[in-house]
Amino acid sequence: MEIVAKISKGSKMDQVYLPKKRNGFYTGSYVILKPLEAEKPEEKPYFYNITSIEPIKLRLVLEIMQIIEKELQSYENIIITGSFLEPGFHFNDIDVLVISNNGMHESSLKKSLEEKTRVKIHLIMLSQAVLMQGLSTDPLYQMMMSKAIAKKRMIYHTQRKPDYKLLDLHLLKSRPLIANFDALNGEEKYGLTRNMLAISLFLQNKKVSKASIDNEIKQVFHIKDVMEIKQNTLNKKKFLGQYKRVYSSIFNHVMDGVNHGSKQK
Amino acid sequence: MAQNRNKLIELFIGNLSNAVLHSMLEKAISNNELAGRYRQELITSLSIAKKYREKINPLHEPLPSKDKEYIKDKVIKKVKAGLAVRKAKGCKQPSQQAVGHYP
Repeated sequence: MEIVAKISKGSKMDQVYLPKKRNGFYTGSYVILKPLEAEKPEEKPYFYNITSIEPIKLRLVLEIMQIIEKELQSYENIIITGSFLEPGFHFNDIDVLVISNNGMHESSLKKSLEEKTRVKIHLIMLSQAVLMQGLSTDPLYQMMMSKAIAKKRMIYHTQRKPDYKLLDLHLLKSRPLIANFDALNGEEKYGLTRNMLAISLFLQNKKVSKASIDNEIKQVFHIKDVMEIKQNTLNKKKFLGQYKRVYSSIFNHVMDGVNHGSKQK
Repeated sequence: MAQNRNKLIELFIGNLSNAVLHSMLEKAISNNELAGRYRQELITSLSIAKKYREKINPLHEPLPSKDKEYIKDKVIKKVKAGLAVRKAKGCKQPSQQAVGHYP
């Protein structure tokens, strides 16, 4: 015997109600609950610069993609990125990018994702045009897309066109390290340093990815591993002196760019 | 390490002015959608300023008027200086008249 029923919401537990008058399904007997929809064949996502990922994370990625697919009528792509894709479980949230040109209900989708996965989601919904503009003008977008898992194949050819006012704004975010070295923890220091050097690589027309930025940090600050920053075991005087010099040099470069840009207009 | 109150107020001012300057520069960006996307993650100045405020006495009451006036004046000066540097380099920034006109 089969019964089709709906799961209803309860105060402490959700439940499935069965009619009192029924054949079989006796009280106390064990039953199997299964979703009614036929299971679709599993689609494999596309991996970009990911050599390995923990199976539990991959299951979560597939679940997120399934939820978005059900909630949204149409979309261009779903991209998972950020610290979640780094080895281990030291992430704060999962960065989820939904590329769509249609009207979007960002807050309800975020709520639904968080309710179903029980993980904090940083949802960013963008149109294809904004993504393309971001990739050509903003190092953060390039870094974000350098390591990702995507629902559909990503092919983005963009020419780098620095927006110096935007870079000025991004660079300002790295300034607090100069006056607040002692107040910041290792992860915060690393984040601010990474932001600054991402801008530097972008201006030099070099590849902007987590690996290339980490490499640049090691070279610029003469350290063996970026863990020295993350674990807060730096030589303050040496690091801060170099940080100020690098910040000032990038700031001047950005200001020259703004000046040049405003003269051209 | 215990920090004295004046030092904490100066650090508080530095971070607050950075956050104000950031929000003013954001107004000068033509594509605001792009500029604001990662804002919530990367603005550390405001959260550091809050951390310092939590260490400045009185902790659970508003600061005395004298301190408030001092902080306000210094934040305005610092933001104006930040905008002036950019103006000197040829940037067209939001009007400096806007500085200090926050509720």
